[in-house]
Order: sequence, then structure tokens, then C-alpha cells
Amino acid sequence: MKRTVIPMGPQHPVLPEPLVLDLILEDERVIDAIPTIGYVHRGLEMMVERVEYTEMGFVVERICGICSFMHGMGYCVSLESIMNVEVPERARWLRLIWAEISRIQSHLLWLGLGADAFGFENLFMHCWRMREEILDIFEKTTGGRIIHSVNRIGGVKRDISDSELAAILVKLQDLGTAFRETARIFGNDPSIAHRLGGVGVLSADDARAVDAVGPMARASGIATDTRLNGAHFYDHVEFEPLVETAGDCLARVVVRMREIDQSIDLVRQAIEKMPKGEGQALETKVRGVPDGEVFTRLEQPRGEVLYYVKANGTKNLERFRARTPTFANIPAMIKLVKGCDLADVPNIILTIDPCISCTER
Amino acid sequence: MANPFRMPMVPRALRNLVSRPATRRYPSEIRPRFDGARGTIEFDVDTCVFCMLCARRCPAAAITVSREDRYFAIEQLTCIACGVCVEVCNKDSLSMSVNSRPVHTHAEVGPDGRRPGHEEWTKPLPVAPVVTPVATPTVGTPPAQGAQAG
Repeated sequence: MKRTVIPMGPQHPVLPEPLVLDLILEDERVIDAIPTIGYVHRGLEMMVERVEYTEMGFVVERICGICSFMHGMGYCVSLESIMNVEVPERARWLRLIWAEISRIQSHLLWLGLGADAFGFENLFMHCWRMREEILDIFEKTTGGRIIHSVNRIGGVKRDISDSELAAILVKLQDLGTAFRETARIFGNDPSIAHRLGGVGVLSADDARAVDAVGPMARASGIATDTRLNGAHFYDHVEFEPLVETAGDCLARVVVRMREIDQSIDLVRQAIEKMPKGEGQALETKVRGVPDGEVFTRLEQPRGEVLYYVKANGTKNLERFRARTPTFANIPAMIKLVKGCDLADVPNIILTIDPCISCTER
Repeated sequence: MANPFRMPMVPRALRNLVSRPATRRYPSEIRPRFDGARGTIEFDVDTCVFCMLCARRCPAAAITVSREDRYFAIEQLTCIACGVCVEVCNKDSLSMSVNSRPVHTHAEVGPDGRRPGHEEWTKPLPVAPVVTPVATPTVGTPPAQGAQAG
């Protein structure tokens, strides 16, 4: 049969970001997909050569507009471990709280985009309306809605008062109640079940073979979560990785919906367990220049992110690398796209939650 | 196969019919920004001592300071509103407003080479107080010591 090549992206109505994919079709069936990476490459990693290490945190934060807090946190944690800086306890709790709030924000954003991809625009608006509440919390506590700039090497720059933390918790729990109603729509609507159920099935063996990370792996039945290693104060809170076994697009939606509830619970635990009182130390002053190298792992909303930082005893780092979760999930996406119908490609692409600005940096 | 007659969206759709809109009527209704939100950098030239600390620490290189010319300039469109300059300023000359004000006064690079969003200040040196010489009486003044000797 004659083959057709359809370029999908970088501009495509369904794509929130410029993913570049060449789809090779036989009739309506996708035979192969060839991704191209580098369309929005900005050279952020190379900027370490001319930006001082204290200022590089602001650059790293701009790798992505959705996980900006976690990127900044990952960079600062890396430098702190190279320089043996002890971060004050309250700062570590605050980092955990902001990280979990940004996970809720990211999942709500993605659920909206996913709903938009399968043609449920009404649901898209409901998800983004809830996300707006989270952005308000960020603006109130960090000063910025998207770019927060609160992480510094040695701690955080801003505190959240105890009364404000209590108000945030009430707001999040209200949001959780409202979200459960939306989750019922996702779970019970026949058109969603018809559109996503049984589409793009990734088995657990396949997920292991292509090294899927984050919700992608958890939806295929692999109980993997970088937070389980207990770093970044996650050993102080109790949680279980949320696993679904179906491995299809609907399972990936369900995992992310359940993770929103889990994150709200993690914020609650953190607020209850963190030491109360204002005026606690937030930042340890950092002196000198870093020397050494380190790998840091974090669980971002999309999955595991890996940072490699190498310092050489000068003000400029020698090397900085970030392996982002979307990059790790691209082989899984290609595997799923092969053999599916052309009409299912947008859903499969969207359910890996692609972030191309992260991937291409 | 899911029941095709289930319509879980209907209760919410009916509620939305009678509830108030979720959006605001911008620009007639503007949401006030929260306290502590990061807006625009404001500069007070009267207190600045041109120590150049802010220019050295600015991650975006948006600030130019010249100690000799007593000159301070900020590219507001290059500024990333991180607040580092406000943190390091010892004289509290720099502050961050909660609201963002429009800073792009012109669209392109102006005839004098100024970029959009460029703001600058120069503070002249304080003028030294003029010392008026005391009028010395010319009559009856004893001659100087050297003149006497000469």
C-alpha cells in the first residue's frame, strides 16, 4: 500500500506546544512516527558559561512555564549539595508545599488541555477556572503567577504566615471538593470513555522497556515515583504512588486526577507537621564558589527530572544538564503512536503531557 | 461500554445557567493585585549613592550604573522582576511596586538610540557652598612679617 507522510506540528490546532512529528501512514493507520527535537532550542544549558551560578537559578526557572518552581528548586538543591549548605527546616517545608501546589496546577492545566484535545471544550474551561485559584495562591505567596523567583541557593526568599497557610489549606480543600465533581464527569461521561478507553495501551513490560516515567509509567501499573526516595523532605510525609493498571489514555487521565487529591493531602500533612511560628530562618547565607559535581532527581508533575551540575571552583559552572520527563517519555509516545488510527494521535500525544520547551531547553 | 445516556455534565451546566459569570468584565472591572505581588522596579534618585551593587547582581543585566557620571539606567523591558536589586540595595533606593505600570513609552529604538522601556536618571554633584571672602580693611593693617623683614 502506498505510504503517506503527514507532518504534525510544530503548529497544529491540538498541540499546546510545538512538537514536531512526521507521521507515516498507510491509509488511516500510522505505521511510524519520527520525532524531531530542537525546534524551540534556546541554549539555556550553555548559559552557565556566562551567567554566574547565583544568577543561573533564574534562568533554570525559565526552562518551563509550568514546572518553573520545581526547576528552580532542583537547581538550588543541586548547588546546596555541592556546597554542603544546610537549608533551614521551614524553607524545606515551604519548598514541598509550593512543589505540590505546582503539581496540582500542572495537572489541572493538562486535564483542561486533554479535554480540549478530545473536543470537550466546556470541561477545559472548568479545569482552567480551578487552576486560576491555584495561580492566585502563587501570586499571593511568591509574588508571581508563573515565574516565582522564591528559590535561592540556601533556602527560600519568602515566608508564608501561619494564618495564610491555614487559608491556603481551606482553599485547596474547597477546590478538592469542586474538583471531585469534575472528576466524576471525566470518569462517567460516555463520550470520554469512548474516546480514551482502550486507546494507546502501554503494557507494564513495554513501559519498563522504554523507560517511561511519571504518570505515564504509573498508569501502566509500575509503582514508580521519585518522591519515594525520601529526598526533599518527602520522607516526612506519608503517601503511596497512585497506580492504574489499564495503561490506556483513560488510565493516564485517572492517575493525574487522583494525584491532584494526593497533592492536596500532602500539602495538608506538610502544613500540620511544619514548625509553627513566624520569624524562623528561611535562608542560609552561601559564601564561596562551588566545586564538585552532583546528580539530583525530582518528581515533577510529568515525571522524573534529572539535573547534572558540574562546578569547577569558579563563579561559572562548568556544565549544567537537565533531562526532563517529556524527553524520557518520547520513546513511549512513539511506541503508542505506531499502529494507531490517525484520529487517535492527538489524544495519545496529549496524554503523555508533552512539554516541548522543557524537552528542548 | 459506558452507558450512552449518562450525562454527568448536566447538573453543572444547569447550575452555570443561574450562577454569576466566572470571568470579570475587564477592563471596566480590574482585579486588584495581591500584596507582595511583583510589579515594576521603582527608583529614587535622591537616596542613591551609585554603589553599583544592583548593576552587578542583576541577572538580566538590565541596570546600568556609572559612578563617575552619577548615572542610573534601567531597561524595564529587560527586567525580569526577580527582586534581587531591591534585596541588595543598602540605601532602599530601589523598590518594587505591587502594580505593573506601562513602561513601553515608544515602540522602537528611538532616534537617540534609546530602547523601549529605557528609563534613566542623572544626579548632578551637589554644588559646593560658595565661600564669600571676608572684606579686609586696607587702612591701618600691619604689614606682613615677610614684608617687614624685606
